[in-house]
Amino acid sequence: MKRTIEIIWVILVILTTFAYVIGYLKYINTSLVAILLLTTFIKAQLVIEYFMDLKNVKLKYRLIPLVWLSVTISLIAVAYYLPIST
Amino acid sequence: MSKSITVKEKYPPGDFAIWIIIYVELITFALLFLGYAFSRRGDVELFNESQLMLSQTSGFINTFILITSSYFVVKAVKSIKSMTQENYKEFNLKASKWLLFAIMCGVAFLIIKITEFSHIFGEGINLSTNKFFMFYILLTGFHFMHVLLGSVILFNIYQKTKVFGYLPNDYSGFETGASYWHMVDLLWIILFPLIYIIR
Repeated sequence: MKRTIEIIWVILVILTTFAYVIGYLKYINTSLVAILLLTTFIKAQLVIEYFMDLKNVKLKYRLIPLVWLSVTISLIAVAYYLPIST
Repeated sequence: MSKSITVKEKYPPGDFAIWIIIYVELITFALLFLGYAFSRRGDVELFNESQLMLSQTSGFINTFILITSSYFVVKAVKSIKSMTQENYKEFNLKASKWLLFAIMCGVAFLIIKITEFSHIFGEGINLSTNKFFMFYILLTGFHFMHVLLGSVILFNIYQKTKVFGYLPNDYSGFETGASYWHMVDLLWIILFPLIYIIR
């Protein structure tokens, strides 16, 4: 598609604006943390695939940042969702 | 009707050494992100209260700026990849135009960040104020240095495009600098919601 990069940019801006509005309104609850982490994952993956242009390279080179991103976001989720013992 | 066939490249774009650096940087920042997230569990209230002192608007504007600068860099790379022996001068100039926009975005990011830092430091906050601000200053300060270095790299590439220094079979250095810049953008995309938004 000719306008792929423009579409990716628009998606990134929309998801960033969504996160900002949620944060600005101080309307963060438990399920929104998960949604924000998911949108962060999507944005980062779009940058890796389309901006860093890894979508057309061999799988092993795509897997390194994908694994990095998945592990990082998952562990952040664990830190936020794991019950805190008092 | 012509069919487009996507051929898988053997290696990521640019010099392979930059990818080793990128992977190391990603791991380093991931450790800092996780250090922040797990330290927060020790005093959630303190982290939430401290976070309210940050300007989410400047964080948002900076995210927008970095995303847009990355877009400009992609356009510059596309221009450089489209050149042939006949039109390489024209496409070097085209790429330089996109790079100039990207550099301007980088400088805008740095100015906004300096303003934010001067506000925070003006409030008497420093590395030892509390754990939240220790992580905030470490993460954003470390990232700031990367944006600064990335802007210098882009400026060097820009200067080379102005003298038509890239040729159809020789633009690996261009892609190397572009990959570094996208890494800087990628790190901020995680840093912004983690430090400024999620609570």
